[in-house]
Amino acid sequence: MGRRRKTAGEGDLIAGTLDMLILRTLQAGPAHGLFIAQSIERRSDDVLLVEQGSLYPALHRLEERGWIAAYWGTSESNRRARFYRLTPRGRKQLRAEASRWESLVQAVGRVMRPAE
Amino acid sequence: MWRPLSRRRRERERDEEMRAHLALYEEELTARGRSPEEARREARVRFGNRRARLEEIDAMTRLPLLDALSRDLRYAIRVLRRTPVFTATAVLTLALAIGANTAVFSLADTVLFTPPPYPEPERLAFVVARVEGPGGLDEQLSHDTVTWEAVRDQVPSLDAAVYFGGVSGVNLNVGDRAAFVEQQRVSAGYFRVLGLGPAIGREFTPAEDVPGGPAVAILSHRVWQREFGGDAAILGRAIRLRGEPYEVVGVMPAAFDETGEVDVWTPLRPSRSGEGGSANFQIVGRLGPGVSWDQAQEELRRAGAGVLRNRGVLEEEGRFGHLAAAPMVDVLAEGNREPIAMLGAASMVVLLIAAVNIAALLLGRGAGRSKEIATRMALGCGKRAVVRQLMVESLVLGLAGGALGVLVARVGLSGLQHVAGTTFELWADAAIDGRVLLVTGGLVLVTSVLFGLVPALQASRLQPQRALADGGARGVAGGRRRWPGRALVLAEVALGVALLVVTGLLVRTFVNLRGLEPGFDPAGSVRGLANGSLQELRAMPGVRAAAVSLQAPYTRLLNWSYRFAGEDAERGTMVNASYVSDQFFQTYGIPVHRGRAIDATDGPQSAPVVVVNEAFVRAFSADRPAIGRRVQLSGADREIVGVVGNVQQLDSGISFEGRVDGPLIAMPIVYLPVSQAPASLLNAVHTWFRPVWAVRPQATGATAGAIAQAIARVDPMLPVGAEEAVAAMISRATAGERLMMTLVGVLAGAAVLLAVIGLHGVVAHAVSTRTREFAIRLALGASVPATVGGVAATGLAVAAAGAGMGVLLSLWAVGLVRGLLWSVGEYDPATYASVVALFLVVAAAASAIPALRIARLDPAKTLRN
Repeated sequence: MGRRRKTAGEGDLIAGTLDMLILRTLQAGPAHGLFIAQSIERRSDDVLLVEQGSLYPALHRLEERGWIAAYWGTSESNRRARFYRLTPRGRKQLRAEASRWESLVQAVGRVMRPAE
Repeated sequence: MWRPLSRRRRERERDEEMRAHLALYEEELTARGRSPEEARREARVRFGNRRARLEEIDAMTRLPLLDALSRDLRYAIRVLRRTPVFTATAVLTLALAIGANTAVFSLADTVLFTPPPYPEPERLAFVVARVEGPGGLDEQLSHDTVTWEAVRDQVPSLDAAVYFGGVSGVNLNVGDRAAFVEQQRVSAGYFRVLGLGPAIGREFTPAEDVPGGPAVAILSHRVWQREFGGDAAILGRAIRLRGEPYEVVGVMPAAFDETGEVDVWTPLRPSRSGEGGSANFQIVGRLGPGVSWDQAQEELRRAGAGVLRNRGVLEEEGRFGHLAAAPMVDVLAEGNREPIAMLGAASMVVLLIAAVNIAALLLGRGAGRSKEIATRMALGCGKRAVVRQLMVESLVLGLAGGALGVLVARVGLSGLQHVAGTTFELWADAAIDGRVLLVTGGLVLVTSVLFGLVPALQASRLQPQRALADGGARGVAGGRRRWPGRALVLAEVALGVALLVVTGLLVRTFVNLRGLEPGFDPAGSVRGLANGSLQELRAMPGVRAAAVSLQAPYTRLLNWSYRFAGEDAERGTMVNASYVSDQFFQTYGIPVHRGRAIDATDGPQSAPVVVVNEAFVRAFSADRPAIGRRVQLSGADREIVGVVGNVQQLDSGISFEGRVDGPLIAMPIVYLPVSQAPASLLNAVHTWFRPVWAVRPQATGATAGAIAQAIARVDPMLPVGAEEAVAAMISRATAGERLMMTLVGVLAGAAVLLAVIGLHGVVAHAVSTRTREFAIRLALGASVPATVGGVAATGLAVAAAGAGMGVLLSLWAVGLVRGLLWSVGEYDPATYASVVALFLVVAAAASAIPALRIARLDPAKTLRN
C-alpha cells in the first residue's frame, strides 16, 4: 500500500495556517470556497497563493470539528454554491489561534532581529 | 465515527461542490475576457487535482485502522483456508481447551457466584460461633437453645429464625396411601426470614412453635402436587407423619422446591432441655432494613459473650469464642470452592498448553511463510503491519476455536453433570449463559494474543533479503530462530507434567480410600430403609442374617458421650454410638475379635452390655483389657462384653487418640443392643438419624426386593425407602474423590496429549527444515543412527528439561490441592518418579517417530531437488 498523500498546501503554507486563514476569512461573514480562496490571495497581496482544491480537505476538517457550518445557497451570479459560516466554537478557536500566531510571529521576529 | 452510508452521500456532495466551484470560477474568468477554453484550463490549473482532493477527504472520513483491519481479516481468512490441516488442528485444539474452560467456568459460576433463590440473599447470614483456641479458629454452625434465645432477644438488627440443620426420612400417610418423604423442623418465622412464604395458607406461629404445641405441617409444592394432586382445599387436611396425626396449615410455592429435598416442615419447638440442651440447631438471620453488618456483628458479639460460656466450648483449654454472622452465600459455596478452583486451574493449564501449542504451530508455519512475509516487507509493508496481520490471523483462529469451544462446552457440561450425578447437586443448575459467554470471549481474546504474539514478533524480525535468498527450505543447525519454539514446548511439557503429578496424587488418594479395609464383608449384603420386622426378614427364603442398626458403615454416626464407671471425670468423652440388633455383626461381616457379639439374649431385662471396636480400645483403654470394664452411657452402667474390628465411617468431627484425618475414618464406636436403648434415646436420635435394615443373603443377588416383599407382607402401608447394595454405599462415600480424580484426569490427559503433539512438532519441524543439511551429512558419510539419534535427542532434551521444570512447578502446585489429598504425601516420590518416567517414554516415542524419517532419506535425490 502506498503511503497517504500529505495534506496539500502544507508545502506552501506553514502547517495549520490555512485553517486559521479560512476561519479569519469567514469572520467577515458566510462565504463559498472560491470566495475564500480569492479573499486569501487578495488580502495577502497575492503572496499566499492557495491551490484552490486544497481548501476543501481543510474545510471538511473544520466542519468535522464543528468550527464552521455549511449550507447550500446561491452565489452573486445566481449559481448554486456551498456556503460556510463560522460557528461560536469556531469563533473561539479563531481567537485562540490568532493569539497563538501573534506570539509566534513576535517570537520569530525577536530571533531574526539583527544582533546588537 | 464510521458511517459508510453517509460517507457516500457526503462524497457526492463534495464532488458537486467542487464542480460548482470550477463552474463559478470559469464564469468569472470568462467575464474578465478569457476565452471559454482558456477559462476552463486556468480554472483547472488553479484548482489542482480534484480527484486527489476527494480521496483525501474520503481518507479523513474513515478510520484507517479499521479499514486496514478488515483488509487483514479478509487476507487472514484466505490464508487460513489455504492450509486446512493447520487451521483444523489449531481450531480443534482451541475448541477443546476453550470448551473445557467454559464448562468449568459455568459450573463455578453456578456453584460459587449464583446466590440462593431468596430475595436479597446478600442480607442473609448464618449465625456461627467462632471459637479460637490453641488448635486454631473453629467455626461452628450449630447452637443450643440458650444461644438461640440470646440471638432472638438481644440482636434486634437480625430478624432470625432457628431450625434443625438435618433432614430425616419419614413415612407420610394420606388416607390409605403411604409415601417416604424428607422432613425438616423449623421455627416460627423461618420462611419470613428467608423471604419466601407459603403460597397457600401460612407459616408456623410463635404459639405453635412451643413444646407441646399443636401438630401442624407445611407441605412442599412437589409433594402437594404428587400426593394431593394439587388439591386447592388442602388446608386443614389431616396427614400422618411417622404415624402421628398432623394438620396441614400451608403449602410452599414451586420456587421453593429448588432449595432442597425437603417435602414436609413441622415446628421445631425449641426448648432448653433435650436436643435443645446442646448444639443441635442452626440459626439463620436477615439483616434488618437500614442496619449495617457491623452493627449486627457487634450485637452478636455482645449477645454471645453471655451464652457461649454456658455451652462448654470455653471450658476447654483456654478457648475463647464469640458469635458472628457468616454470609449465607459464602457458607453455601463452601466445600465446592476447592474442587472448582482445582478444576479451574487444571483447565487453565490446558488452555495455556493449547495456546502454547498453537504458538509453536504458528512459529513452525512462520518459518515456512518467511518467504511470503519477506516479499510483503520488500514491497513496503511495515513491521507493524506484518505483526498486525499475523495477530488478526490468530484472532480469527481464536474466534473459530471459541465458537466451536462453546459447542464443546455444551456437550462437556452435560457430560459433567451426568458424571456428577447427585454427588454435586448444585452442578445440575449450571448452564451456558450470557455471563459465561462473556468470559469465553475474554478467554478467546487472551489466548489469541498469547499464542499470536511470539510468532508475530519473530516474523517481524525477519530480514527480507536473507529470507528471500535463503529459499526457505535450506535451514541448517544452530539457527537462533528455533529457540522460541523449543522454549514454548518446554513450557507446555512443564505444565503438562505438573498437571499429571497433581492427577497422580489424586489417583493415589482415591486408590488409598478405596483400598481402605472396610472392616466388614460388603459382598452381597443389602441395606434398605424400612420399618419392618426382623423376624419377617429372617423368615424369608435365602436370607442368612438380618439386622437393624442406627446408621451403617460408611455413614456418619451419632456423637454420644460416655465415661468409664467409677472414673472421676468431670465431663464425658465423645465417641460414636450406634444401637444394633442381634445378628448385626454377622449381617455386615464385622469380625468379633474378643468376647462376644450382641445377641438375642441381650434383652430389656438382662444385664446392660455394650460392644466396642478396636479404635475405641486403642483410644481409651490401651493400658488395660477393655472387656469387663463398665461404661456409663445414656444413664446406665453397661459392661463391655466384646471387641470388634474397625469399620470406616464418615468423620463426625470428634477428636480422639490415634485419629488420622481423612474423609473416611475408623472412628471409636460403642455399640449397644437396641433392646436396651432407653426410649428417650431412641426418640431423640430418630429426629436426626435413621434406622437401617440390612440383610445378608445365602447366595449373592438372591435378595433383590427381599426387604420390600417382607415389609409388604407385614404392613402394606409402610413404604420402603431406597434399597441399595452395601458396595454401592461404599462407592457413594468416595464418589466426590472419584469425581475429582476423573475430571482432573481427563484434563491432564488432554494436557499431556497436547504437550506430546507439541514435542512431535518440534522434532518434525527440525527434520523438515533441515532435510538438505541431513542429506549432505549422510552423503559425506555420517551414519544414519547417529543422525537420527542426534535429532531425536533434541526432542528428548527439551522433554527432559521440561519435565525437570514441571517437577519444580509441581512442588509449588501441590500446595494448592493439599486439602484434596489423603494418605499420600504432597511430595510423594513414587508419584513424581512415575509421572516423569511416563512422560519421558512418551516423549522419546514422539521424538523418534519424526526423526526416523531421516533414515528413509535418499541423499542423492534430496540434493538434486
